[in-house]
This record gives sequence, structure tokens and C-alpha cells, in this order.
Amino acid sequence: MNLRYMMKELYYQKRRTLMSILGLSIGIALLIILNSLSSAYRQAAHVPLKEIGADITVQRSGDVPKDLVGAVFPCSAVTIRKDEVEKIEKLPGVRGIGTGVLLWVFDPNRAWIVLGVEKDNSIGPSLLRSSVTEGRFLEGDKPEAVVEQAYARQFGIKLNDNISVASHKFPVVGFIEASRAAKIAVANLYLPLKEAEDLAASSTNLQTVSPYAPGDVNLLFIKADQEKITGLASQMKGILGNKATVATPDSFLKLLGSLFALSDKFTLAASLIAIIVAVLIAFKTMAGNIAERAREIGVLKAVGWTNRNVVSQLLSESVVQCFLAGILGLLIAFVASFGLSFMKVNIPIPWEMSPNPHFLPGGGDQIFKTLRLPVHIPWTLATFAVLLSVVIGGMTGGLLGRHISKIKPSEVLRHE
Amino acid sequence: MSKSTILSGEDLSKRYGDLEVVKGVSLAVTAGEFICLVGKSGCGKTTLLSLLSGLEKPTRGKVNLDGREITASSEDELALFRRENVGFIFQSFNLIPTLSAWENVALPLFPLKMTGQERQRRAIELLERMELGHRVEHLPSALSGGEKQRVAIARALINHPKIIFADEPTGNLDSSTGEAIMGILNKLHREEGVAILMVTHEDELAKTAQRLIRMKDGEIMS
Repeated sequence: MNLRYMMKELYYQKRRTLMSILGLSIGIALLIILNSLSSAYRQAAHVPLKEIGADITVQRSGDVPKDLVGAVFPCSAVTIRKDEVEKIEKLPGVRGIGTGVLLWVFDPNRAWIVLGVEKDNSIGPSLLRSSVTEGRFLEGDKPEAVVEQAYARQFGIKLNDNISVASHKFPVVGFIEASRAAKIAVANLYLPLKEAEDLAASSTNLQTVSPYAPGDVNLLFIKADQEKITGLASQMKGILGNKATVATPDSFLKLLGSLFALSDKFTLAASLIAIIVAVLIAFKTMAGNIAERAREIGVLKAVGWTNRNVVSQLLSESVVQCFLAGILGLLIAFVASFGLSFMKVNIPIPWEMSPNPHFLPGGGDQIFKTLRLPVHIPWTLATFAVLLSVVIGGMTGGLLGRHISKIKPSEVLRHE
Repeated sequence: MSKSTILSGEDLSKRYGDLEVVKGVSLAVTAGEFICLVGKSGCGKTTLLSLLSGLEKPTRGKVNLDGREITASSEDELALFRRENVGFIFQSFNLIPTLSAWENVALPLFPLKMTGQERQRRAIELLERMELGHRVEHLPSALSGGEKQRVAIARALINHPKIIFADEPTGNLDSSTGEAIMGILNKLHREEGVAILMVTHEDELAKTAQRLIRMKDGEIMS
């Protein structure tokens, strides 16, 4: 392989070189963009759960009492017994578990959405402590409450006020801004878990439809090994029965409904198509280029170049062109992904995960988590794409070089 | 084959389908000899040149070049043999359009292990001998026909060949440039003792050779 000859060939035959590089770079860019988009949707689907520090959330649907008086469980989140929680906790792949008790409290002059949280558990809604706008988050074991800011404003609740919820008194120690908080496991009022348990246990109305004992919960937040999430989801359904709602990143991905969010198989198929297109483009352009050079190859062989010399020269040209195509494809993909990262994606929150009573005005409205599509190109994908282009260059250069090197110089040089 | 014979073809025939282009030709070239192969277009002289130079294999007969029978050699063996023993000059120059004059001259040396400077030095030296010292960096597209052919002659000489095969080297040149090229070939033959086997259809040019071989319908007439 002669470097000078290769560089001059690529430089002076600009049209040939550019055609080859552009053709392949489009295929490579397509491959990178498709995979980045797919990965971005996948990451986006993680966000609603990540915001509450979980990989999986678990609820069980049931009935609500006929009379909506006092504390009741939402129909989408009824009792999950303590022994069921313990079974789930022991499942292989479960790395940690957070619990919560979500209540609707219908007082004579006001309705509350109450969430009892484990204030010191990093898995679950205690992460909302970062959304406190005034006062502080829950501390200690004493009865106290944190109120959602907009709700407090609507009902004139002030810091240090004593509020009454289902005849239980709680001093208000802080406010949370819901708009900065997650879209799931949110409420008007946040209480220590034990206080919420007491409200639930003391509600006869609640006990009639969903027997509850302290230690039981109705929301589970689970951290799990990523590769085991799908398997765990079905095991949890096995433990809790067919009324269980197990939310995972995959279930959010399905709700997105986008082509890219459909499945790994789609991404794989689209990537394969992009690779095949890239290979075909590279092969076709280079085959044309090399065919144009039959006479030149004839000269090389006449002056003493062996087949191997010819193949290695063409191979090096092809590899360099494809490497440049890979770099250009990567640059195109970077620009495209920058543009795509401005795209907004609306992740629908399933109604059963929305804490709002659907029978109240606006309660049945679809809730979305809106975020910018987190499109970025991982270095592993970038490296793979550039290596792939080099491999394509090696294959096409090798195959075409071997083919063209078999020509007889006398055949291409005799006809002037 | 005598010691002074560097190339010989014995009973050479070449057939393309039903058409026999070269018919049982035998020919010997001694070291330093200048032979012209003349004949009308299509008489088989270029095919004979290809057979003798190892660019093409005969249907029948054998070729000995510098004491070695090359007829049964593989493509790569032939290429290496040409690299070490043979120079070519073509009618249409056959220079690589993307390489400069000196790089075209050095083309046969590219596969050899030697430094770029050494290649360049040898190529420029030859170009200076061809009075092209001022054109070493020019691309073929910037050279005249005569200059291109002088570059091609320099390329044919770069590997110190024992014999140069020239196929209508003046065919694409005007008469005065053609005469100049013939002058260079004659000088090479006289001063360096390189054997030259030249194909031409111009009798006037052929007269400058030591020996004239006439071909007709694939056979040697005289």
C-alpha cells in the first residue's frame, strides 16, 4: 500500500471520494440516530419512576365504599398486606423497597388527597423533600404535615396552622410545589407513614371494603436490577393477583406509542436496514469507482504490481473513505441529535397511578409528564458506528479489489 | 537459447475462439538489439508483443525471457518478473492521472521496500535525463503529448529493464514529436544497451531499427 498514491487518489478524484463518503455517511448517521432516538425514548420512559427514586411501582385496584365519607382508599390503590410486601422484598433482583399509604379523605368542608411517606427512605415520595418551597419536610415521628402549595393557597392554609384531617390534628410544617414534583405519588397533604396508617386503620368506612391493619400499605416503590425488571413485574403480579398494577419503564414506553418506543425488535430491524443500506451504498459507489479504474489497474499490473499489491492499495483507499464516512456520519448524527433533543415528549400517566379522584371535576383528565427528549449519542454507539464503517470499507475494498485485480492487463490496455 | 539472446518465443500461437491472431511465430531478441515489428492494423503485432512480454499467455508455444520460461508462470510471478526485467511504453501513455510526473515514473517502485526519498531521487534523475526536470511535480493533464510519452519512457526505465516493449509509442504524437521520441529510444538503445521491441505501422520509423520484422495475418513474413 502506498500512502502517497492513496491520498492523491482520494484528493484528486473528489467526486468519486465525496460520493462514496456521503453515501455511506448517510447510512451510518441513520444507524446512530435510530439507536439514539430509541435509547432517548427508553430513558424518557424511566423518568416518571426515577423522579420518585424507583424502578417499579406497585398498586392493587379494588372497590371504594358507597359513601365517600372520612378516609378511604382510592379504587386503584387498596390494601397490600404486610406479608405480601415481605414476599416481594425477598424476590431476587429487588434491591430496595419503599412504601406509602395513599388516602382520599372526605371531610365535611374539604377533600384531601393524603400520602403517608417513609420520610427517611430514599426510595419513594420522600424524594419530594427537594421540592419544599417554604418551611421544611417531615422530620421525627410526631404528627405533622406538609401541604401542596397551590392547595394551601386555595384554602388559605398557612405555615404552623393546625389542620384537621378526618378528626386528626396536624401542624403544617412546610409547603411543596407540585409543579416541580413528580406526576405520580403526589398529594395535597404529606404525612409521616405512621400517621397515614392510623388514619386508614381507624376508618371504618375504609375497612368495610378493604380490610387494613397497621403495617399494610397501598403503594410500593421498588428499586431493582435493571435486567430483572420485566421478570420481577410478572412475579409481583403472581403474588398480588390479577388486580395488581405494576408500572415499569417498559409499561410507560408502551404508553408512548411512538414507533421508536415499540420494541427492541423494531430498533434492531431498523438498525439492520440502515446497515444494509450503508453497505449497499458503499458497495455500489465503490464498485462504480473501481470499474472506472480498470485501465489504471491494468497499468499497475503491467508495470509489476502483484494482485496483492493492487488489493492492498484499493483496500486502504476503501478503508480510509469509509472511516471518513463514519466520522461524517457521526457528525451528522450529532447535529441531528442536538436538533432532536429540543423535541418534547409527553408521557401519559395511567389513570390508576393518578392520585386524583376521577369523579371530581378535572380528576379524570389525562395527566402527562412532559420533558425534553434526552437524545444523546453514547460513546459506545459512536465507536461501534465508526468501527462498523471501517469494517464495511475493509469488506467492500477487499471484495472489489480481489475481483478487479483478476483483470488481465492486455485486455484493458490493448484497445486504445 | 544462446547467451546473448534475452527473449525468445517458440512456435507462439494465440487463438480467440475461432480466430487465430498469432500463428506459430518464433522470434528471438538478443541483448541490446532494437527490433521493429511492423504490419498493418490487426495483423497480430500487438498480440505478439503481449505474448512475448508476459502480459498474455499463448494458446500454444513458449516464451523464454532472460533464461527463464515464463509461459507457465502464475499472474503474480509474471508481475514480479515484469517488475524486474521489463519496461513498457504504450501508445496512449497510460499515466496515472492523479499522480505527478515523478510519481508516475516511480510507480513500478511503489510496492518495493525503499524510502520515499530514494524513489523520488531515482524518478527525478530519469526525468532530468528526459529533459523534464522542470515538470516533475506536474500532473499528466498539465503535460503535452510528447512530455507524457517521455514520462512513460522514464517509467519504463526506472527498474533498469533488460528489454523495453513499446507499442506504437508515437501513434498519438505529431510527426516531429514522434521523431523526438524515436530519437530518445535510439539513444537509450545505443548508450545503455537496452533491448527494444517496438510495434509500429509506420515504415519510416521502423527504418531506424536494427532489425525489421514484418507481420501479416498473424505470421512473420520477413
